[in-house]
Parts: sequence; structure tokens; C-alpha cells
Amino acid sequence: MTDNPLEQSLAKLTDIQREAVAWDNGAMLVLAGPGSGKTQVLTCRIARLLDEGRDRSFRILALTFTNKAADEMKERVTNFVPGLEERANIGTFHSFCGQVLRQHGIHLGIKPDFAIYSQDDDRNAVLEDALKRAGMDPLAVRYLSLIDRMKTMLVEPKDAESRLTRTTDAHAIALTYQAYEDELRRLNVLDFNSLIFEAHRLFSNFPAIAVRYRRSYPYWLLDEFQDTNDAQYRLIRAMAGQDFKNVFAVADDDQIIYQWNGASFRQLQRFRADFAPQLIQLPTNYRCPPAIVTAANRLVAYNVQRTEAKKPLVAGKTELKLPAHEHIQLRAFDSDETEAEEIAKEIAVRGKSQWGQTTVLARTRALLERMQKALQVQQVPAVIAQRRDDFLSAEIRWLVACLVETVRPLDRRNLAVLADAFNRFAEIQVSVGQVLSDAEASGVAYLRVWAEAAKREVGDGSPRLTLIEAASRLEPASAKKIADDILAEFASQATGSDPDPDLAEDLAAWREISNDIGKHFGRNITLDEFLQQLQLRSKEPSPQPNTVTLMTVHGAKGREFDFVYLIGLAEDILPSFQSRQKGDGSPEMEEERRNCFVAITRAKESLILSRASTYRGWGKQPSRFLVEMGLAQG
Amino acid sequence: MRITRLGISNFRSIKALDLDLNETTVLIGPNNAGKTAILDAVRIVLTRRWGQHGTGFTEYDVHLADEDADPKAPPGVSIEIRVEEQQAGEWPEALQQDLDEIVQTDPATGKTFIILRASCVWNEAAGSFEPSWIFLNAGRAPLVGGSARRMNLERFWQYLPVFYLGALRDADDEFSPRSQFWGRLLKAMEIPPALETKVQRVLDLLNKKLLQADPRLAQIAETLSGATRVAARDRDGKVDLRLVPLKSWDLLSKAEIILRNEPDWPWLPLQRHGQGVQSLSVIFLFQAFVEHLLAELYEADSAPVLALEEPETHLHPQAARTLWTHIKALPGQKIITTHSPYFVQHVPFRDLRLVRLTESGTDVYSLPSNFSARIPHVAALDAVVGGSGGLLEYDRAAEMLTVHGKLDEQRYRDVLTCYGTHADRAVIHGVLRDLRDRALLFIGDEELRALETFARRIRGEIFFARRWFIVEGQAEYLLVHAIARELGYDLDEHGVAVIDAQNNGNPAIFSALARALAIPWLAVFDGDGAGHGYCQSIEARDFEAAFVATRCRTLAAGDLEAQLVADGLEAELKTALTNLSVAGAAAADQAALLGYLRGHKTAYAAELATMLRGNVALAGRMPQAFRDAIADLRGLA
Repeated sequence: MTDNPLEQSLAKLTDIQREAVAWDNGAMLVLAGPGSGKTQVLTCRIARLLDEGRDRSFRILALTFTNKAADEMKERVTNFVPGLEERANIGTFHSFCGQVLRQHGIHLGIKPDFAIYSQDDDRNAVLEDALKRAGMDPLAVRYLSLIDRMKTMLVEPKDAESRLTRTTDAHAIALTYQAYEDELRRLNVLDFNSLIFEAHRLFSNFPAIAVRYRRSYPYWLLDEFQDTNDAQYRLIRAMAGQDFKNVFAVADDDQIIYQWNGASFRQLQRFRADFAPQLIQLPTNYRCPPAIVTAANRLVAYNVQRTEAKKPLVAGKTELKLPAHEHIQLRAFDSDETEAEEIAKEIAVRGKSQWGQTTVLARTRALLERMQKALQVQQVPAVIAQRRDDFLSAEIRWLVACLVETVRPLDRRNLAVLADAFNRFAEIQVSVGQVLSDAEASGVAYLRVWAEAAKREVGDGSPRLTLIEAASRLEPASAKKIADDILAEFASQATGSDPDPDLAEDLAAWREISNDIGKHFGRNITLDEFLQQLQLRSKEPSPQPNTVTLMTVHGAKGREFDFVYLIGLAEDILPSFQSRQKGDGSPEMEEERRNCFVAITRAKESLILSRASTYRGWGKQPSRFLVEMGLAQG
Repeated sequence: MRITRLGISNFRSIKALDLDLNETTVLIGPNNAGKTAILDAVRIVLTRRWGQHGTGFTEYDVHLADEDADPKAPPGVSIEIRVEEQQAGEWPEALQQDLDEIVQTDPATGKTFIILRASCVWNEAAGSFEPSWIFLNAGRAPLVGGSARRMNLERFWQYLPVFYLGALRDADDEFSPRSQFWGRLLKAMEIPPALETKVQRVLDLLNKKLLQADPRLAQIAETLSGATRVAARDRDGKVDLRLVPLKSWDLLSKAEIILRNEPDWPWLPLQRHGQGVQSLSVIFLFQAFVEHLLAELYEADSAPVLALEEPETHLHPQAARTLWTHIKALPGQKIITTHSPYFVQHVPFRDLRLVRLTESGTDVYSLPSNFSARIPHVAALDAVVGGSGGLLEYDRAAEMLTVHGKLDEQRYRDVLTCYGTHADRAVIHGVLRDLRDRALLFIGDEELRALETFARRIRGEIFFARRWFIVEGQAEYLLVHAIARELGYDLDEHGVAVIDAQNNGNPAIFSALARALAIPWLAVFDGDGAGHGYCQSIEARDFEAAFVATRCRTLAAGDLEAQLVADGLEAELKTALTNLSVAGAAAADQAALLGYLRGHKTAYAAELATMLRGNVALAGRMPQAFRDAIADLRGLA
């Protein structure tokens, strides 16, 4: 046996996994069922390519859908081939597009130091300003979601009017769209949808830049390819051009659950048509007990929209902790209230040591909220996991704004965020408008002017003075040290006599995020790069130990737990009311089935399926999926 | 990979400078004009020593406009280098991949380039001059994020190492075991272990034999051992005498170059040879270093930049002349300063840069093949550029319009029209006017090629001259030198080059060269058809008629001989011809005299020049046009 981690991992692969890892050139589609070790295949392949190309300089591009997945892959690759990980560009579609645009966006008039607005408040404000500037109807701000949709469809403002055939406002909407885009450019800002939209535009309009990426990155890997939406697929196509085929995609068409976001079986079909990939199937499931595998196979066989000749899952888990009858258990209750109460009791009985490995999944957030309350009654700590776009506390929002201000000292919108946040937790009233006009009159930096104003407001002897002093000393080189000082100050505040749970959560999240970023990009990352990453990541901390995690099925994607409770297995819940309206054979119904498939395949030891006869007082039949899984009579 | 463009501002004698660099670029100019500042700018940007405290830039590096200027006042020093592919795909794959985070791609040409800016400003908080660096995008805005990681700078340096050979090349230093090329070459030599052991044995044996040769050596060693006893250790130490090197590295480090100039002359160490040979050896040492060690110490695709001062040092003219061929063949990019007309003789015109110190700091003049100006993009411009057949180019990211040649009136109007309603049209029109005027300085490749051939004899010296005096032929050349000397304005002493244009191409091309290189010039031609033709051909080069009238004189009486005769110099001319043993000259009538003179043109002029020596009165009777021209040359700007 060797102590080289890469060789060890390669030795542990199955023959079929090894075949995928050994794949060199040409397009490849790996159909990987849940728990089939796809991340191991991806990371081993990246590490193998780098290891065998030690004397070469090529880079590898690996795109994922979540930062968590990217971080995990980066960590494994670093462990496999220390020192070479720098040549692997592993990140989400959005962060990769951000990189591309910072380096080459100038050809679209995008400056390298653009800001990313991900929050609707910011974006609404941008559109309001745009409309004011263009002298347009302020009510047109309502078109923002329509604009978002057009951007995800890669429709440019100039083409908007002709594409909007089902409305009489096409002209007004197109003008609003154009005004919004102009304003973003003027502010040197991109919104979240701009990232893929603009990167696609860059590669399509300037093929020479796509050529450069193909030359620098001769190997591309795509994780969770089934979640790719139309825009993301077209981005890949634009980047690949006609001849580039070195795309290694890992997908499971039975786990497409982002249809509402444009993910579709169609993307897989397009990939097969455009790239003519070889196919490898990884059907063996190393995660779930055999009973769950059988149920999953039965369930998904009802779907039509999936790869022909797709192999059924094969149970591959050898060490089972629980006896067979505990692998799948059914629960039925009279009402949704009792369902929540009884399940909560059951979880409470499991005892603290198992809570951290227990999850409750539901189709909707409403069910989870009820569940959380029930668990509270049983004094079981539980959190609903959900992506957080911003920090909760004014303190940490203020700190982020201060850091942004040092990188973009002329960002007026950010200064407003900074001043408002500080006003809130320091309970003062510094006027943003006053700061801006004073700064412009005196030529002194916004941050300095704000600090002077804030100092006057808080008064001598205020404990806030040290914060203000620290902030006014900020510059990119010293930012890390000063931010640490400020965080230490907040930390003592969060644990003091009057603890602030929001601040405590934010501090925990900050620590985790900066750790992850540090691990991914190294400690010497520039402040600017750090802030970009921070912007793109969820500000939600990991749950405390011994806490039950409550998740929607969508949030559970890619996760695994020893004990999985799937609640609400009733018609109109899972499958949803909407999907039933669309019909039994509809794509929506198939998506619901895949939701169920994803949910049950999260379980490593035991799956508890529960349903109630009534939800919100309405009688509901048992979910058809129970029947399809062979767990109930039709 | 090589530097294609260098931008310097506020650095030593340089206020603001943009210059194109070729595969080989030769900087010529008077002492203190700023040539070394240009070399140093490149060195500082590409040397890893800077960026650390106390090295790289100092307060003395900040350009000071006047005595009271404060070096600590912004904007501080800024140096920008651009490296760019000559054609798309030129740079090796590995290099592109390695430098992926900092490269830019021109979407129109597909060419890859990198721009690095180094700057240095006074930092009040730190109390020192703080150097900083950043890579730029195609619009010359700083690349932030991953591109700004220091690793990228280190890698960039690795691919573009710079080496400097100063004017004072001392073979003693350059061939020492610690020197930049020789020392590293020696250290890189690999001696097989078996040989190493054998060498060790031979050395030990040799040492023993030598010690035995004279018993006094052993006694000396014994006496010296006293030192170890005084040091009072528990156990006695020992002193031994080593008469030969201890290890094979000691042997190698003492390696030296010996050479002999002729087969039967004795071998002598390099240091015993003349300065010229020593200086030359150092240059060739660089070549050996690049060939044998560069790829090992840097990257396989690294390309050296050699900053070389006065390669001609101590060399005989003949050697200086042929040196160009060798320098040109050196690997990598060369930026050279020289004071040698002999060296310059073979340097292509486009590679020459004339460096001068003006009121606004160091300025550089050259014969570029294109001219650029920054103007904003408007949609209409695309059609004009597209229809120009490659004459015009527009880089949208950098907002740069480039014209490859002259901007003819029609096309100039077309571009102006694009900005007819632009809010900043007044400013833009000014910029375009300036571009058109600068593009008038364009001299095409064919003309330059012709000059390379015809003007070889004089082209070395004329680039070192402060003013040009253009005349037709050698007779005038001889005469104006003599006249000027007697009138108290020695042309050589005052840096005036007299160009006998007929023998070196044609007068018009020299007027165009002079304009492009900002060399003040005057011309005197015959007052005949040919002479007037020259004036017209100069005017045809887009000079104002009034300007041509002040700069070009003609001899009122016709050709030189007719003028001399008309000036009443018959007697002197006859003497000259007689001195030349021209039979019948003394008795010739005017028509015959003119015939004799025209038949012995250069010879009589040389004779007349001799007669002029010490004869101020005679000089005063020489043709008015020459005397006026000489008077005007003083202070001509």
C-alpha cells in the first residue's frame, strides 16, 4: 500500500469508475446515480491529469453549481496533488463568468472592478434611477422580473421587442430593459444574471477570447450537468466553438429538479447531439441500503423523459448499521399537525447524538416551518437550511460595506449601505446625502467623510469610536488586520451581557466563509478577490452540532444523512397540486417524481416516509409515489 | 515574447515618453539625454529586486520639472511595458497557459498581449517611496482579483528575464566566479561523481608531493599549528598547507579564458588582452549563458531582454561596423545605447531612436511605421476603418485609432465626419488634426530601403548631428566646410552634418528624415533646372511653401561653377586648375574655364578649399547663398 493519497484513491476505485478517471480526450458523459462516487471520479480525474502533466502548464476547468461543491472538489484535488491545485480552476458557473468578465469584459465595456448586485433591493434601486434618468414611467420598475427572465434566456435589449410577442407593452419593456442595462454599465455593476449573459455575449461576439480559454484550459469538467439551464449550456457551446470536444460531463437525468430554472432533459440531449460523447454509467449506489435502491428504481421507472438504456441503480453498500426492517419505514397520521408532532417526538426519542445526522425533508417550506415549531416543543434544536444572500446583522453588513468602500471608493450605493447599517446598530442618524455632498465638495474620500460625521454623531467616549477609527484607517493592504480587529470587537459584543443571536450567526458564517475562501484561494488572496467570493456565497453558517436540519428537497441536493424523514407524502403535496393540474404524464409530474427520487436517496441508514390524511384541513390521498415505490397498494 | 511598447512618466529626466521597441532597438543621443534612464526603466520593471524595501525606485528617480519640485508630490513614477505577439498564436502554448490570468487578447487580430505597470509614489503613512505593480487590461485599467496575485508577477519575470551590460564592462568582474553569467555557467557544470573522486585523489596526491618537495613547507605548517593550541580546545587541532585547490569546484571557479589572436602567438589570459577584446568577450559570454543556461534557470520559453550600453566600447571602427551583425544575432530582445557612428551604419532606420533632452525632459524621435491617437468610438467609424484597406485600425478597448502610413486628406475628412455631431467634437478634431500632422512624418519602407543602400557611408554620422546642411554634391561638401571654418563656424565642431544628397539618394528624402527626427536643416542647391526641381520635390513632401523658401536656397547664377565665376573668382579658379596641372586653364576664356571646372569638379573644389584655409577675405567672396546659409545655421532650430 502506498501513502500517496491519489494512488490510494485510485486503487479504491471500481473498474468502471477507473475507466471514467482514465478518460483522456474527447467528449464524455458519465451518468452517475446518487451515491455512486461521482465527486471522487471528478476529483481523481482532475488530479490524475495534473499529476501526469507535471512538467506541463495546461489548466483544467471544472464547473459546479454550488460553492460548497467547488470547495469540496478543490480540497480533495489539493490533497491528491499538493502544489498543482493552482492549475485547476474549480468554481461555480457564476464565479467563473465573473473571472472571465473581470479579465476580458472591457470588450463589452465592462471594467474589471465591477460590483455584483445580487439583492432585489439594490436592483430595484438601479432600475428606479435608470427610469428617472431616462425620463421614463417610474411604474416600469415592475418589469424587472421580466428583464431577469429575458436575461436568463440570453435575449439582448435590442432583440427584446421582437421576442416579446405576447404583450402589448413590448416596446416599453424593451426600453426599460435598455435603460436598466445602461444604468448598470454606468454604475459599473453587474447583476447576478448578467454574469452568464455577458460572458456568453463575450464568447459569441469575440471568438478569439473563447479560443484563448480553449488553449489555456484543454480539459473541461461539468458537475451535475443535468442542472444546466439553457443559458449555461449555450455559454459552454459558445466557449467550445465548433471543434472543441474535451468536455467531461457528469450527470444524472433522474435528478433534474431545477426545471423551473430552465434545467431540462433537453440539455442532455443537446449535449449528446453537439458533442457526441462516449457514455459511461455509474449505477452502483454506495450510499443507501438495498431497500431504498429498489424503491428508487421502481419509482423512477415511471418516468419517460430519461436516457434510453439507462441502467437501474445497483445496491453497492456493504456495511449496514441497522436491521433490514428499519431501512424503510412508513408513518401515517390523521393530520399535518399530528404528523409534525409525532415525527418531532420520534426524533426527540432518537437522542441528541443522532440529531446531527437527521434531516427532515419536505416539498415546501411551509411544512418545514411547522416541523421546526414541533421540534422546538420537544426541545430538539433544528434549523431550516436556506441560502442567505446577505448577512443578518447590521454590524457585519457595515463591515462588508467598509471593505467594499476601500476597493471601490466611489461607490455611492455602497456608501449608503454602509451608513444605513451603522446608523442602525449605533442608533445614530448620519445622512448619506450629506456625506456624499460634503465629500464631493471637499474631494475627500467618502469613507473618511462618513467617519468624521459618524464620530460627531456618536459623541466622545462612545464605544463605537474605535470602530469608526478602525474603519477610517482601512486600505486594501491593511484590510485583513483591521477587519480582524473589528470582528474581535463584535465577537465580545455578541457573547456579552446582551447577546445578539443574529450577530453571533453572522460571525460564525464569516469565519466559515473566510476559511473556505482561504482554503480555496490561499491566504494571499487580494481583498478584491475575497469580496467577490464573499458576494457569491451564502451567508448562512453551518448548523450547530446536534442540530436537526430541515430542508426542502431542492436544498437537499448533493447532501446525505443517516436518517432521512420525508414528510408530506400525499397527493397535492408531493406530487404538488400544480403538477397534478398539468396531468399524470406531464413533465411537471415527472419532475415531482424526481424530487421524490432525490429525497429518498439522501438516506444512508434509514428512510422514514410519512403522510397525513389531511393537510390544512383538506383530505388528501396517499402520494402515488408510495404506490410506485411498491410501498403501498394502489 | 518581447517588449513592444514602453511608456515612462516622471522618471528621472523623463516627463512623459512612449516608445515602440523592436527586436533590436538602438538608442542614440548625447550624454545625459536619458538613454540610460530608458534602459533602467526596463530593468526596474523586470527585476525581482524591486518591490522590496529600499530597492528599485528611490526619490532620485522621480522626475523633477524644476528646482523647487517636490519628489514626494503626486503622481510619482509610472512605467508601463507592453509585450505583444507579432502574429496570433506566436507565443508558445505553455507560456500562454502559465500566464493565463494576466494575458489579454485583441479580439480583432487574435493577438495576445500583456501590459504591466510599475509605479512608485510617496507614501505619507509609511514615510517612504512605495513601489507597486499591476497588470492592465486592454483598456489599460488595472486587472483586479486573481490577476493581481504576486505569483503572476513572478511568473511574468520568469518568462522575460532582463540582463544588463553597462558601458564599463570589466572582464575581471564579468569572468569572476560570482558573476551573473560566468559564475552561473560554471556552477551549472555537472561533473560525474567518479571523476569528482578521481580529481580529489589526484589533488591530494599532488599536494603531498609538493609539500615533500621542500621540507620548509612542513615546518611552516607545524609553526602555524600553534594557533589551534592557543585556541585551547580539549583535543589538538592541526594546520595543514594546501598548495593546490581543495575541491573540483575550487578548480572550476578558477577557470579562465585564454586566447591568442594568431596561430603562432602565445596563449594569454583574457585580462592580458586589449580592452576591446575583453569588452567583446563579455557580450559573447551573454550569448553562451543564454544558449546553455537560460532554459534551465528560467522557463523553456523564456526570452531574455538584454540592456546593453555602448557595445562598441574600445573597438576599432572596422570591428564596430561588423559588431551590429553579431549583436543582432544575439538571442532575445536587445535594447542598445551607442555613441558610435560606425556601429549605427548597419542599423536599420526603423530600429533607431534618437534621444534628446528638451525643455520638457527626455524626448525620443524615430521613423515609425504607424501613428496612433486616442479617440472615443462611434459606430460610423467602423465603416471608415473597414473601408480603408488596412490603412486604419481601431482598437475599441483602448479607444486607439492607428494609421499605417499617411492620413490622406479624403480619409482624414471621412474620420472627421464621424464626429460631426459628437459632444466633444472640438477636442476630437484637435486630436485628429494632430494625428494627421504626425502621420505626415511617415516614410515608407521602400524609400528607407533605398536609403539603406545609398546613404550607408554617411548615415552613421548624420544621426549624431545637431543640424543638417543639405547640398548637391561633393564639391559643395568640400567648399561649405572650408567657407564655414573661415567664417568662424566650424561645422564639425558645431555638430553640423553636411549631406551631399546626390550621392546618397535625393535631397527630398533627407528633408523628410530631418523633419521626422526633428533635426533642423538647411539646403543650398544649384540655381539650374535640377536645383529648382529639388526645391519642388521637397515642397511635395507636405512642407509649406514659405518654409521651403526659408530653408532652401539656390545659387543665383546657376550651377556652382557659374556662380563662382559670377562672384568674380575667375583668378582663384584658374590658380586652382593650374595647381591641378590642367593644361590651358590659365589662358582659358570664361566658357572654356567653366568647361574645365565642370570636368574637374571635386578636384578644383578641394583645391579651392585648401586655398581658403586662413583666408578670411576669400571666404567673404564665396557665393552669398553659402555664406547666408552658414550664418543661418547658427542657432537654427
